[in-house]
Amino acid sequence: MVRQARSEATRRKIITSAVELFNEIGYPAAGLGDIIERAEMTKGALYYHFDSKESLATAIIEEGSAHLVEAFRSITVSSAPALEGIIHGVFVVADLLSTDQIARSGTQLLRAFGEFNDAAARTYGGWVAEMTERTRQAIDEGDLRGDLDPQAVGETTVGAMLGAELPANATSAGADMLPRVTRTWKVLLPAIVSRESLSYFDEFLARESMRHSPARLAE
Amino acid sequence: MTEQLDRRADTTRLQILRAASRQFAHKSYSLVSLDDILADAEVTKGAMYFHFRSKHALALAIIEHRAAVARASIDQLLARKLSGLETLLDISYLVAIEDIGDEIARAGLNLLESVGRTDGLQANVLGQWVTAYAAVAGKAIRDGDITEDRDPQSVARLLVSMYLGLRQTSNLAEPERFLRDLENMWALMLPGFVKPDRIDYLNQFIKRRTAVALKKATPL
Repeated sequence: MVRQARSEATRRKIITSAVELFNEIGYPAAGLGDIIERAEMTKGALYYHFDSKESLATAIIEEGSAHLVEAFRSITVSSAPALEGIIHGVFVVADLLSTDQIARSGTQLLRAFGEFNDAAARTYGGWVAEMTERTRQAIDEGDLRGDLDPQAVGETTVGAMLGAELPANATSAGADMLPRVTRTWKVLLPAIVSRESLSYFDEFLARESMRHSPARLAE
Repeated sequence: MTEQLDRRADTTRLQILRAASRQFAHKSYSLVSLDDILADAEVTKGAMYFHFRSKHALALAIIEHRAAVARASIDQLLARKLSGLETLLDISYLVAIEDIGDEIARAGLNLLESVGRTDGLQANVLGQWVTAYAAVAGKAIRDGDITEDRDPQSVARLLVSMYLGLRQTSNLAEPERFLRDLENMWALMLPGFVKPDRIDYLNQFIKRRTAVALKKATPL
């Protein structure tokens, strides 16, 4: 029991140190030696938990995406109508990306490894499945147009949000993520929301983006 | 070993609380006898007296249990990080749905109104309720939904009073009517403390919450 707890603490320490280093100098520049030094561990301790830098990256991707998916789920699984949950959930996830180091590092590694890592495929697939399910519910509730294909909308929404994150990261280190998310929703909503619900969601989005504006966060 | 015994004792305690709630949800305090509760809970008199010394003690335990559950679900709603006023609205609908369909919730508020009047329990529980609401109302002022010249504490007291009054004037056994009454109550109250340009949106928000609640609420 004690041994297990100690081993888990070591693993945590390694992940935290790796995340710090990746965020500071980037994944390619951070060597396993640097990580060992930062974590104040022996080589043996690191190799006991991770057999390579890539398996360490995979663990960060998985943990980071688990944080984000959990946050999104806790928002969308509630008594609120599904589309409100989707929009609000995306804002909460965007917020988390700027405050949660593991989530932030995981997302960046996801991009770097996207093409040849199973964890990446699982993560994207999980998001699309989650979004498709909520979309189906929002169609049932009449907030999204009845003639939409939930899968297509799920994929488009996830794609658009990942697309908003990319330039935000490239041009401002993620600082203008929230206005970008707002603008993306502004373009997306008229295309998918039913006529009766559109004016409500215009207002919903305006309120959401006001609450998450940088001025508010600085308070 | 003791851990196991403790757990069994906890299960028995909860079993008695549930059975008692079933009784208190449907009948007034004075009409419920300990024998009714014993028969429903399927426990021995000895087990009952081990956990609760009297009907009164049992009633107080239900009120406290309910208050703890309510606090937890309010914390969950706060974690959703909606605006203050939307959170207040969501809480009121959550409370209504549970009051309509959950025996412990119904019994808790019934008992708070009857036995809670003695020994200061009502003042204490309602005081906590008002304090929790006031914190959220304060956020609604900072969000710019509630006008700055309103006192969060007064808004909170108004909301709690209105809900407790609604339980008397409306009918929890008819969810449709109760939820419509709740909707109307909000629509009438909002202009009293909300900025005029926010009211249209919030009225729509309320209508949408009523629609969701109508689907979720199933009477006891």
